Amino acid sequence: MKSKDSRDIIGGLALSVIGLYAAFQARDYEFGSLTHMGPGYFPVGLGLLLAVLGVAVAVPAFFREGEPLKVEWRTLALVLGSLVAFAAALKTLGLVAATVLAVVVSSLADRQTRWKGRLFIAAGVTLVTYLVFALSLGMVLPVWPWSA
Amino acid sequence: MNILDGLLIGLQSAMDPVTLLYCFIGVFLGTLIGVLPGIGALATISLLLPVTYHIPPTAAIVMLAGVYYGAQYGGSTASILLNLPGTPSSAVACLDGYPMAKQGRAGVALFMTTIASFVGSMLGILMLVLFAPGIAELGLKFGPAEYFAMMLLGLIAASTLASGSPAKGLSMVVLGLLLGTVGTDINSGATRYTYDIPELMDGISLVALAMGVFGISEVISSINQVRESEVKEKISMKTMTPTSNDVKQSVMPMLRGTGIGSFFGALPGTGAAIASFMAYAVEKKVSRTPEMFGRGAIEGITAPEAANNAASQTSFVPTLSLGIPGDAVMALMLGALIIHGIQPGPLLMTQQPDLFWGLIVSFGIGNIMLMVLNLPLIGVWVAILRIPYRVLYPAILVFISLGTYSVHNNEFDIYMVAIVGAVGYALAILRFEAAPLLLGFVLGPLMEENLRRAMLLARGDMMTFLERPISAGFLGVCFALVLWSGFSTLKRWLRARERKADFVST
Repeated sequence: MKSKDSRDIIGGLALSVIGLYAAFQARDYEFGSLTHMGPGYFPVGLGLLLAVLGVAVAVPAFFREGEPLKVEWRTLALVLGSLVAFAAALKTLGLVAATVLAVVVSSLADRQTRWKGRLFIAAGVTLVTYLVFALSLGMVLPVWPWSA
Repeated sequence: MNILDGLLIGLQSAMDPVTLLYCFIGVFLGTLIGVLPGIGALATISLLLPVTYHIPPTAAIVMLAGVYYGAQYGGSTASILLNLPGTPSSAVACLDGYPMAKQGRAGVALFMTTIASFVGSMLGILMLVLFAPGIAELGLKFGPAEYFAMMLLGLIAASTLASGSPAKGLSMVVLGLLLGTVGTDINSGATRYTYDIPELMDGISLVALAMGVFGISEVISSINQVRESEVKEKISMKTMTPTSNDVKQSVMPMLRGTGIGSFFGALPGTGAAIASFMAYAVEKKVSRTPEMFGRGAIEGITAPEAANNAASQTSFVPTLSLGIPGDAVMALMLGALIIHGIQPGPLLMTQQPDLFWGLIVSFGIGNIMLMVLNLPLIGVWVAILRIPYRVLYPAILVFISLGTYSVHNNEFDIYMVAIVGAVGYALAILRFEAAPLLLGFVLGPLMEENLRRAMLLARGDMMTFLERPISAGFLGVCFALVLWSGFSTLKRWLRARERKADFVST
């Protein structure tokens, strides 16, 4: 049982959808003429072009074999989670808490790190971050949870 | 202004203590991240962009440039010792560098690549000095039609010459162009794709896009990767000395590599990585002992290393004198210059000679610093490679978050990086190249502006692109490239069908 080249199929179709959507969204922007191009000219043109290219990528992939797709969902979620946690905590809990939180969340993605190591890394990163960003670069940020 | 006057002005500008300091920081950081696999010049420059707001523009660009060509020095270290490239352009160094390390010649390999990098850089700078003013003068004759055609060539070259199918590369370029339209249109004041989110009025932040697509997705892909054997060798001055045979065998490859690198670096759409692959291929073809390649042939590392360093210097030629970036990193540099209110292009040389020439002279100073730094510090770089990735990446993520935040003091930007990071990871999984996306994004607004103006001047006559000789020339090369890539895709497809037919019939 040969597996289709799912990468190009998914990618191509996704791009076509994005292109069509972009062109659709841009229909409200003034189109103008070739001599006096309005804000809608470029986006509509590009959107349609993208839709065509997406099909050009996806169709040949139906006739091709490809390797199965491997997605690291857990790692993806944890890395993004670390960013979101940092953003949410920065102004409400201060720099130190945000950094520790971010490091703990992201280090969960690595299968080798244990909790002791995790806390060490968190402490180290927080120290370096404080020195580099708060002291040397002089960024104005609440540092401790009680000053936020 | 003639070259000697320019160099004198540049010397004054570059010898300024603040500039010198940032030059040093740049090349040091550059070598460091070049050595470390998983972080490249692209991610680092994106991270440093917010920092550059607080320092004078010349020092800022000198530092970013230092990171760029500094990374080309360090990149081969991980390739040789760990069989893992530190930068994309050092991937070729794995082929012969790692076998050399296994033969106990890691020290020699590291030494020779440093020398090759130096030679490549210095000669590349010479090319830059000789050709940039001439090209800038040519560029003064460029009208909007010529700029549009040249940018089009750059984008098509980037998408067809990169790895993977040209259709995929082109689609990335178009997506990048589309993303570039998000925000307020300068001409009409209309807002496009902003969905009433105020932070998007200025468009998607370049820093967020670059860090998300390159930094975050690189991190996600690198976590939990199994690293090959740990670095076991002890590197000392004695183990690094090459034999006279090594030196003799390397002279011509270094020169050939420099030539190839200078050429590809100056071409829009191609950069250090392609230059190093081409140099390797040429060396193999030209060598009298091609079977030695892949088994520790010293030409296999000195030529590509000279090439990628030369390319990283000459890629400033189109960026500075015409305002057209050659690859994703140059696109970032262009973005950085624009953020500082500097308009690269033919007028840059006359309007800001101290920046232009100061930058070029700082390349020379930076490379000398790198030579002096790298030879004794090779042991330090080797030690750093021993830090496990799981300690590094949480720090990288926090730095990315804080760095993005610091641009507008707005957490929205961090959420933006997260979203873009997810998209970037999707692109990496689906094997779509991200560099053309960045190129399209940076060039998009410029291209639209030039297309608009060209059409205005030509009263809507599309033939103007073919009637004007220079733009017709660019379009001709575009056409040739599209034909050539279509042709090679066809060839590949036919060959694959042949192979399958053979397989079935046996």
